[in-house]
Amino acid sequence: MSESTFSADDFKPLPKGAAAEVITRPSMSYWQDAWRRLKENRRAIISLWIIIGLLAFTLIGPYLWTVDHAKQNVDKISERPFTSTEAVLTTPLQPWDIGNRGTPSDPLALAEPATTQTARLVWQAMPGASAYRIYRNIFPYEPGAGLGLPLGETLLPKDTYFEDRLDLQAKTYYYSVVGLDSQLRETAQVVTLEVPVTRVITLTEATERGLLSQASDGKLGEKIHLGTHPFGTDYLGRDLLARLMEGARVSLFIGIVAPFLFVLVGVAYGSIAGFLGGASDQVLMRFADFVVALPFLLFMILFKIAFGIGPGESGVMPMLLALVLLSWPSTARLVRGQILQIREEGYINAAQLLGANTSYLVLRHMIPNTLGVILVTLTFAVPSAIFTEAFLSFIGMGVAPPTPSWGSMCNEGIKTMLTSPHELIFPALFISVTVLAFNLLGDGLRDALDSRMRSRE
Amino acid sequence: MTENAPNTELDVQSAQDDFNRSAGLKLLWYALLAVIGLALLMVLLSWGSKKLGATSDSSPGIDATNNTISLILSQEPPQLDSTLATDMVSNMVLGHVMEGLLRYDENNALVPGIAERWDIRENGATFWIRDSARWSNGDPVTAADFVFAWRKSVDPANASEYAFILFPIKNAEAINTGKLPKEELGVRATDERTLEVTFERPIAFFDKLVAFSTFSPVQEAFYNQANGRYGADAETILYNGPFSISRWVHGAHLRLEKNPYYWDADRIKLDVIDFPYFTTDTNAALNLFKDGSIAYTGLNAENLQDALNRRWHLDRLQDGSVFFMEFNHREDRITRHRKLRKAMQLVFDPKELVYKVIKLPGFLPGESIFPVWLRGVDGYLRAEYPAPVWEVDIPRAQALLAEFKQEMGIDKIPPLMLLTGDNPASAKQSEYFQALYKQTLDLDIRIDKQIFKQRLAKMTSGEFDLVMAGWGPDFDDPLTFGDLFSSWNLNNRGRYANPEVDRWVRVAQESLDAKTRMDAFGKIQDLLFEDVALLPQYERGVVFVTDPRLHGMVRRAVGPDPDFTNAYIVEP
Repeated sequence: MSESTFSADDFKPLPKGAAAEVITRPSMSYWQDAWRRLKENRRAIISLWIIIGLLAFTLIGPYLWTVDHAKQNVDKISERPFTSTEAVLTTPLQPWDIGNRGTPSDPLALAEPATTQTARLVWQAMPGASAYRIYRNIFPYEPGAGLGLPLGETLLPKDTYFEDRLDLQAKTYYYSVVGLDSQLRETAQVVTLEVPVTRVITLTEATERGLLSQASDGKLGEKIHLGTHPFGTDYLGRDLLARLMEGARVSLFIGIVAPFLFVLVGVAYGSIAGFLGGASDQVLMRFADFVVALPFLLFMILFKIAFGIGPGESGVMPMLLALVLLSWPSTARLVRGQILQIREEGYINAAQLLGANTSYLVLRHMIPNTLGVILVTLTFAVPSAIFTEAFLSFIGMGVAPPTPSWGSMCNEGIKTMLTSPHELIFPALFISVTVLAFNLLGDGLRDALDSRMRSRE
Repeated sequence: MTENAPNTELDVQSAQDDFNRSAGLKLLWYALLAVIGLALLMVLLSWGSKKLGATSDSSPGIDATNNTISLILSQEPPQLDSTLATDMVSNMVLGHVMEGLLRYDENNALVPGIAERWDIRENGATFWIRDSARWSNGDPVTAADFVFAWRKSVDPANASEYAFILFPIKNAEAINTGKLPKEELGVRATDERTLEVTFERPIAFFDKLVAFSTFSPVQEAFYNQANGRYGADAETILYNGPFSISRWVHGAHLRLEKNPYYWDADRIKLDVIDFPYFTTDTNAALNLFKDGSIAYTGLNAENLQDALNRRWHLDRLQDGSVFFMEFNHREDRITRHRKLRKAMQLVFDPKELVYKVIKLPGFLPGESIFPVWLRGVDGYLRAEYPAPVWEVDIPRAQALLAEFKQEMGIDKIPPLMLLTGDNPASAKQSEYFQALYKQTLDLDIRIDKQIFKQRLAKMTSGEFDLVMAGWGPDFDDPLTFGDLFSSWNLNNRGRYANPEVDRWVRVAQESLDAKTRMDAFGKIQDLLFEDVALLPQYERGVVFVTDPRLHGMVRRAVGPDPDFTNAYIVEP
């Protein structure tokens, strides 16, 4: 470098207003930048919308779909989604005047048209039969094949009638009556009848269920619509959509409150340990290791007992407590590591030299610099907490009936998996989608908040 | 990345990418290796287990060449000491390996067993034991074996839960309560083949009683030699029935083989009854049946549809037991008030429970503590003494409840604890009741699901308001149900006490006249209904399917069920 001479002008301050340097791009704060990058991540944004949608589903949903989740309707057990059914209005079932049934002209006949209330069969006595067995089938009669559901036996030769009230559905049944010999073994004498069943509902039932505003509004023989369940009903005829909304409350409550609390505890603990360092750090972190080793399920049960929560009461609070008390160490470790690292950074030394006190250092430099890590931990803790809740409710440790939760609904649905799969599929789908959405959002957040990624783009 | 980035950064970047790529490749290899390794391990283990365990688990449900059938048990028999057994599974196995003085035949009629003839009088009975009766070690079955077993059953040191069933025998109750030594029991062997019984009081159904498994004989020498392990293993039981246990792997496998010493061995056609599976999982049982691994299985509401679609020949039976909701009548419980119970009765329709919720054929809506199959004077008891019926009347129930609340001076009934079993069916029924009472009477019900043992313990200590209880018959007489709600019966878990009921139970116990006794049962039925001591729910049924090649299986309400002693295989 060549020598130069300085003039007085060189030591004049710049005139006010002159730009020292030109900023070509808009200035962005850390959060603005993170949000910008998150917005570019399509998966994360879709997940975010799904989560917002879920919150709306459980918080606003019950105001739009005002069906009681605990109301059972034994006439609509395990109904498929969007089944639209109509029923004929009728009078309550009267006892059958068996003495006046007469003798049918056919071998097997209906005493009156079959409805979902009752199917009343009469038949001509068979020669030599000392009793009869009645079957109900969903397939037409075919020699050699099974006759279907054995409904019952009449015990005397003169009893040539049978009333079937067992779970009658609005479809066509094939009834068979088989004569039995004196040893009550089946003989070759079989008569079969095809019986179409109509769905009926009594006026009182229709009024009770709010299908008619008054019993006088409906006329006997008129068809009325029974109402649709968009997600079907469960094994006691309860509306699945309403139960899913109600269940989401428990799942999301645990899923959001528990991580929030334990992350808070973890941050406080971890930053104290990291900031103090030395022997106190060692002691604090060994205690955290000890907590990691405690078995969750056992503690959950212990809390349940310690809380005096008896059978039949909700176990959600002990679950929350157990989650908070046992899950904080991972956050604490993470935060401690970050703080240890940040503590050695140049700007911390600089700030200390400039006279910053401890609280300023922690609040201004350390916590904001660990916030990204904390946020990512939080989003990953949410799905795992939701999953834990679902698992515990699945094994019956969580909510008490009739309160539903997605986990307990899965547990109930699995029993009827083969006959009505929708009872399992919907809650399982909700759990999977929620857990996936939170995981993808966590992934996106991690990418967006990672300061190393920041310089790459 | 910006275009004018310095070269050094680019190099670092590409090096990083290279590293990532090669590391990723390596990871992929490791993952693949791990998966392949795991698969290999599984193949190896399954091969190994087949190699080692091939002796037992591969027999088909029906094996005509070896004259063997395979079946499933819901659990391993908890107790095969006949003086202690209480449950259905043990009872069923004991029915195959033991024989009492009398037994039930294939038409469920009472026929001679070990006793070739008997004589029952007002104050006692004599049984003559047949010469050909042998134990499975070749020793003759003697009258002394019965005396030993019966004394053992009432011995308070043995603590048999079924001691009460011997109470019609003289001094049995006093011995069981420790007031008399067990040698004072009213039974003695006058000689090797003659058994003399003295009664405490006249009894109308002693012949039916002795067919029960608690009355089976036990050989004293063998019992003492077993050193307190009698009934615990296949080798520590001496058999006198049609079969003997040849193999018992605890928790896994039970195998019965034809007992060559059985006096009526010609009657027995099967050589082996094998129980290679213990599980309560009905779906697993159905799958085993589909595979042909077992010859018989029960069906439940969930897998019934599958069975119907396969067009199998289904069969059904009422297994004889009655299920009911029992109230806790103890002093400190709110359920001791009749008005509350009556209101709860008036909103409950057993028909709805059976036809819409349980949905299984064979179940009957409950109307009474006495099931429909019990015999009365000439015909069926329930035909001669119809059970009182009630109509569902929600407004009346609500009015009654309001009245009750006013009397008690409370606004809201505290939550009622409903004790129930831990199986899916009980859970479903409990939830049905929970919603029913919430919707109609605004009663809060808390469900307390417990495993069987725990439920029994809680029932005994009275930690419940309501309990889903059931009772299966021990002997073929209405008294097996009739004395359930007598104040002294330990199975009266709600401690219901009504002097009127007690009086009629005494009449039924002591009278020998059929009409007087049936009248008493009719009275008990009416009193229990009037006082709403319990809410009958249903009479249980079972739906089952058997392999078409299996014939001669007997199902029954009273006695060992199912009974395969007369079963045989017919090849199509």
